[in-house]
Amino acid sequence: MTEIQSLMQGFALAVTPENLMFGFLGAVLGTAVGVLPGLGPAATISLLLPLSYALGSPLTSIIMMAGIYYGAMYGGSTTSILLNMPGEAASVVTCIDGYQMAKKGRAGAALGMAAVGSFFAGTVGIIGLSFIAPPLARFALNFGPAEYFSLTVLGLMLAAYLSGRSIIKGVLMVVFGLLLATVGLDPISGKERYTFGTMILMDGLDFLTLAMGVFGIGEIFLNLEEKIKNELVTTKITNLWPTLADWARSKWAVLRGSLVGFFVGLLPGGGAVIASLVAYAVEKKASSEPENFGQGVIEGVAGPESANNAAASASFIPMLTLGIPGNPAIAMIYAALLIQGVQPGPFLIQDHPDVFWGVIASMYIGNVILLVLNLPMVGLWVQMLRIPYAILAPTVVLICSVGVYSIKNNVTDVAMMLIFGVMGYILRKLDFELGPLLLAFVLGGILEKSLSQALLISNGDFSVFLTRPISATLLGVVALMIMLPPIVSLMRRRLGKKSAAG
Amino acid sequence: MKKWQRRAALAFFVIAAGAAAKAVDIGFGSFDAPGPGFFPFWLAVLLAVVAVVYYASNREADAAAQPPMAAGRFRRPAIAAVIILLYTQALDFLGFATATFFLFGAWLRGVEQERWPKVGLVAVIGTVAVYVVFAVLLHLSLPRGLLI
Repeated sequence: MTEIQSLMQGFALAVTPENLMFGFLGAVLGTAVGVLPGLGPAATISLLLPLSYALGSPLTSIIMMAGIYYGAMYGGSTTSILLNMPGEAASVVTCIDGYQMAKKGRAGAALGMAAVGSFFAGTVGIIGLSFIAPPLARFALNFGPAEYFSLTVLGLMLAAYLSGRSIIKGVLMVVFGLLLATVGLDPISGKERYTFGTMILMDGLDFLTLAMGVFGIGEIFLNLEEKIKNELVTTKITNLWPTLADWARSKWAVLRGSLVGFFVGLLPGGGAVIASLVAYAVEKKASSEPENFGQGVIEGVAGPESANNAAASASFIPMLTLGIPGNPAIAMIYAALLIQGVQPGPFLIQDHPDVFWGVIASMYIGNVILLVLNLPMVGLWVQMLRIPYAILAPTVVLICSVGVYSIKNNVTDVAMMLIFGVMGYILRKLDFELGPLLLAFVLGGILEKSLSQALLISNGDFSVFLTRPISATLLGVVALMIMLPPIVSLMRRRLGKKSAAG
Repeated sequence: MKKWQRRAALAFFVIAAGAAAKAVDIGFGSFDAPGPGFFPFWLAVLLAVVAVVYYASNREADAAAQPPMAAGRFRRPAIAAVIILLYTQALDFLGFATATFFLFGAWLRGVEQERWPKVGLVAVIGTVAVYVVFAVLLHLSLPRGLLI
């Protein structure tokens, strides 16, 4: 059966009333959290993970979660443009030129271009997902434990590498996350590990409790340090359709942003945030008037907004085909599938074609829904910004508490969430990125299992990781990533000394 | 800031040392038959190494004293943490709806310092809204205590 036929079957599943409704709900919720500063897509998906239990169908769950993720990419631009405050991290760069455009009375054009660019790029990303994912999954069927181990190590290294300014901090978070994942009963021997004799730790640390703690509660603590006061650009938003001149200036920016976003989104550890930053840099380089960037140039909105949407779609590829989630929000969707008993990875297309093709088809539909939601209804989203944080914060605490409580009907889990919240807050205060920690926590099981299996098969011979070509290549890339930064910094220092001497 | 980074590195090192010792207790096994402590042991070793590197990279003193956790900034997050802690303790005892009413009230008064009439109004409306969504519409099982 060709990909087109499978996709058509996916459409048949995606347009059932239930799936359409939850897809729409996801898109609306995603746009809302994208608009509201201080509540990102990862936190929102984590808040709604318990709903996966109630929904029953894995397809319906993932359709809703995916809608939240790419919906947030659309919504994030609204606050960046009107408030100079990114609704979520992937829209940080949109503030630079978007807000300047709004101050010049061109908020409508900026919002319109962001929405149309997002739609185009999102569609490019989904087309790529439809046609790249199946052959990649077929290729991944050849993977053994050694390849999985190396691929997971590469994914975690990339997460550490791309997460922030300091690679050491990223690696610290990865290793700490992996260590946290070992708490509980050993899956093979059944022996207790780091449970300190307590019942609550026997089942291990719960992903949902950890995610809601570090992202939901930790984020609230951080936001509470300063009173959030929203200052809207109050001029009436008119002319949402960009002018012909805007189109002419932006067409290549949208295309470049789509391609940059797609390829960055494919990388484990990549994702929408990095994609938008890279796209902004690319646009500045490509422009004949780079000095105007930062003063309200429409390409500065079109490029990054296109990139973050393309990346959001592309980041489903490593998760669905290799079973390696590339960023925290995708890790949440990965967890939602596991909750439903569906293991993402190369066998997903074979074992659950309905889930695989259904979610892809729903993304095409969701993209159209989001365009409709974001262009004519922008005024409504702006009104949402008037909800005071004083009410929003305790509401989020309540949603987190109910979500965590509903897993095992145990109040102790809510207390655990608070502990993780404090931990997340302290780590964020010390400038640690929490994405790699969460990714490592999710991938810890795969890493341990593949390492143990590979060693068992090879009778404890570590060369198994280097004698198999795919594994060796992946580990080679990891080695390069470790060695490159010190070499580059050494070369820079030497060059600096030479030029100072000369 | 660097002082705090060094403290964080030390904390990670202590965690790593404890985790490594415990992993040996659990059972290291061997390379051809890894035991339950095998993977955690190597992780702990790696964590210790990275913590040392991190400490070393923050050796030099700060140019200016810039503690990332100035006391004033802590106040509202600390009050919020205490309120959530009390909420977790009150859930089983008072029940979801009553504890939620107090959570809204304590938050708006303690963290946001809103006036009492607004506190009361938001607490009542918020509690009813949350109860309707979770208990009535979503049929979630919520803690029941002395009250509802």
